[in-house]
Amino acid sequence: MAIAEVQKVQILAHDGVKMEILSTLQEEGLVQLERANVEELDLESSSREVSHLEHQLYRLSSALVYLSRWEEKGFVKKLFAQKPQIDRQKREEILDFDSLAVLDKIEKLEAEKNELLSEIKFLEKEEEFINPLEGLELPLRSLKPTDSTEILLGFLPVSQEEALKDLAEKEAIWFEVINRGKRIIYLFLVYAKREKDRFEQILKDLNFVHLYFTENMLSKADENDKVKDVMEKIQAEIQEKERRLEKLEKEGQDLFVHREKLMLLHDVLLSERVKIFSSGLLGETERVFYMEGWIRSSDAEKLKSKLKSSTDAIEVYSRNPLPEEEPPVILENPKSGKPFELLTKLYGLPQRGSFDPTLPMAPFFFLFVGLCVSEAGYGLLVALLSLLLIKFAKPKGGLLQFLKLFTLLGISTAVLGALIGGWFGFPLRSLMVLDPLQDPLSFLILALVLGFAQVWFGTLLNMINGIKNKLYFESIFAQGGWLLLLPTLVIYLQTKQSIWGILSLAGASGIVFFGSPSRNPFARFFGGLYSLYGISRYLADVLSYSRLLALGLATSVIAMVVNTLCQTALGIPWVGWLLAALIFIGGHLFNLGISFLGGFVHSMRLQFVEFFSKFFKSGGKPFSPFELESKFVEFI
Amino acid sequence: MTLGFTLAVFGGALAVVLGGIGSAIGVGLAGQASSGVMSEDPEKFGSYLLLVALPGTQGIYGFLSAFLVMLTLGLVGGPLKSPTIYQGWQILIACLPVAFAGLVSGIHQGKVCASGVYMVAKQPKDLMKPVIMAALVETYAVLGLLITILMLNGINL
Repeated sequence: MAIAEVQKVQILAHDGVKMEILSTLQEEGLVQLERANVEELDLESSSREVSHLEHQLYRLSSALVYLSRWEEKGFVKKLFAQKPQIDRQKREEILDFDSLAVLDKIEKLEAEKNELLSEIKFLEKEEEFINPLEGLELPLRSLKPTDSTEILLGFLPVSQEEALKDLAEKEAIWFEVINRGKRIIYLFLVYAKREKDRFEQILKDLNFVHLYFTENMLSKADENDKVKDVMEKIQAEIQEKERRLEKLEKEGQDLFVHREKLMLLHDVLLSERVKIFSSGLLGETERVFYMEGWIRSSDAEKLKSKLKSSTDAIEVYSRNPLPEEEPPVILENPKSGKPFELLTKLYGLPQRGSFDPTLPMAPFFFLFVGLCVSEAGYGLLVALLSLLLIKFAKPKGGLLQFLKLFTLLGISTAVLGALIGGWFGFPLRSLMVLDPLQDPLSFLILALVLGFAQVWFGTLLNMINGIKNKLYFESIFAQGGWLLLLPTLVIYLQTKQSIWGILSLAGASGIVFFGSPSRNPFARFFGGLYSLYGISRYLADVLSYSRLLALGLATSVIAMVVNTLCQTALGIPWVGWLLAALIFIGGHLFNLGISFLGGFVHSMRLQFVEFFSKFFKSGGKPFSPFELESKFVEFI
Repeated sequence: MTLGFTLAVFGGALAVVLGGIGSAIGVGLAGQASSGVMSEDPEKFGSYLLLVALPGTQGIYGFLSAFLVMLTLGLVGGPLKSPTIYQGWQILIACLPVAFAGLVSGIHQGKVCASGVYMVAKQPKDLMKPVIMAALVETYAVLGLLITILMLNGINL
C-alpha cells in the first residue's frame, strides 16, 4: 500500500459553468487533467487572452526585479523570510488592484534612470578627455586659427620632445607644454600657415595626435571660459544628474510598499495562465464540455460533492484504471518514512506492477549514513541545526522533507558515532562497542554482513513481487534458489558441514532449471547454468559495502588529525589557544561537510546500484495535479 | 634515520602527491566548467560548488593515508620508530593503492562532474543524478583507501 490508489475521473457539464468548474478544480488541486481524446468532441483552442496575460506577467516580473533592490538584505533574514499569503477563495479580489499605474510609474523610473546613467557616462568620458588639458590658460573660444597662423592642441610621445624642440628653434613653429604625462606630453602648438602642408607632414612623422574640442564642449564654454571652467561645469552637471538619480531611487523606494500586491497579482495571473492552458485539454460540443483526469481514490468523493454543490448542470464519474492505462504514481508512506521518498523520487517512481521501495530502503539508508559518518558530535550538530531550521524558517514541501531527512540522519550518526566513533575526534571508550581504528577487521565484517543482508532482502522482495505478478515458477525456484544458495553457501564455506553444502546445491539447481525463460530444455539448462554465474555479481555487490568501513575510518582519522593539529598549535606561545580554537572549529566543520557529503552520496549509491537493481523497476510518471501556481506567494 | 624509514616516508609522500594531483586536475576541470556556466547563470553557485568539490576527496584520502603513515612511524605524537628496509618497502607499497587509484579516479571524476555541471545548468532539479554518477567513479578511490588502511594497519613496527 505504499503507492496510493488512483482513479480516473470524468466530468461532463454545461458550457456556461466551464470556467467556474475549472477554478474550483484548480483551487482544490486534486486532479491531474488529461487530454480528452474523444473523437466526437472538438478540442478547445486556448489562444484567447494568453498573449495579453503573458505581456502583463512579463511587466510584473520585471517590476518585481526592480523593486527587489530594496528587499531586506542578509542571509539570515532571507532564510527566515516568510512568503506573503493569500486566501485561495478570495484571490480574484487582487485583480481590482490598479497595478497599471504602479507599473507605469516603475517603468518610467527605470527608463529615466537608464537615461541618466548613460548621460553621466557620456559626461565622464568628456571629463576624462578634457582633464589633461586643464593647464591651458586660454579661453576655449579664442583657439581659432588666424590669417597667418594655425593653432593646435594635441599630444606627442615623450621621446619626440627633443626633436620638436630642435624644430621649434629652426622653423616658424612654437609650442608650450600644458601637461606632462608618463609617456606622452600635451602641447599647445602654433605654426605659420604658409607652410601648413610641410608642418603637418613633420608633425605626423613625430607621431603628433591632434585633439579637438567637441561641439558639445564648445557650447558649454562662455566667451572667456578656460578649460578649467568647462571642467567645473561638466562636474557640476554630473553632480546634478547624480542628485536626480538619488531622487529617482527615493521615488522607487516609495513604490516598494506595492511589492506585496504585485507579487500576489503576479501569482494569481500565473495561475490564470495555467487555467487557460489547461482548458485546452477539454473536449466540447456546442452546449456541453467534457474533461477527464486522474485523482487519488480517497479524494474522489470529496471532489464529487464539492463540484455538485456548486452547480446542478454537472455529472462526475470515477472508475478504476483500465489495464492498458498508465496512471500517475503517488507515493504514500507513514510520517517517519516520508522524508526517504526524496531518494525514491530521485531514482524514479515505480512503474505499474512494481511497488514503492521507500520503506524497505529507509532503515538501511538510515543505518549506512550513520556508519559512514560515525561521529556523535557531528550527528548532534546536524540534527540540532535541522530541527532549528524547521522550527524557525518554517520551510514547506521538498525542503521540509529534506531537513527532516537530515534530522533523522543526524540522530543515526549521533547514535552510531557514540558506539563506534567519537565526539569531535575524542573517543568516549565507555560507550564504545567497537573501535574501528584498533580493529578494522570487525568493522569490515559488520559492513559486509549488512551488505549481505540488504542484497538478500532485495532478492526476497523480488521474489514476493514476482509471486504477486503471477510468475510463480520463476520466482519460487530461481529467486528462491538464490535466497537459499547465498546464506547456505556462506555457512558451508565457514563450517564445511555437508548439510549446508547439500542445501546450497538444492538452491543452485533451482536456479539452473528455472533461471532461464527458454522452452527448449537444452537452452534452458545452459541458460540456467549461465545465470548461476550471476553469483559473481552478488559477490561484487556485497564487497561494495566495504566502503562503509573506509568512509567511517576517514571521518575518525580526519577528526583525529584536526585534534592533533590543535595540540601542536597550543604549543605556540601567546596566540596558541586562539589558533587552536580556529583550527578546531574550521577543521571539524570541514570534516563534517565532506563526511556528510560522502556518507550521503555513497549510502545513496548503495541503495540505487546494489539494492534497487535487485527488485525495483522505475519508470512511473509523477502525479502533477492541476492547481494554483505560485512563485512569490503562498495560497492558503 | 634508516633506509626503511626513508622508504616509508616516500610512500606517504606519494599518497599525498598523487592523490592531490588527481584531485587538483579533477576539481580544476569541474571548476572551469562551472565558472563558464555561471557566467550565464550566477544563481546556482551552491549546486555547482557541490559538483566541483566532489573530486576533491581523492586528495583528502591521500592526505589521510600519509597521516596514518606518519602515525605509524611516530612522526606525529610518538617516539620515532626505526623500520627495517623490508618494513619500509611494505609501507611504501601499502600506499600505492590510494595513490594511483586517487590519481586516475580524481581526473575522471572531474570529467564526470564537469559534464554534470552542464547537465544541472539545463535541468536544475536533477542535481543529485550527476552526483551519483560521480560517486560511481569515486568508488575506486574509496576501495584504494580501504586497502591502504587495512595494509598499514597490518604492518606492525
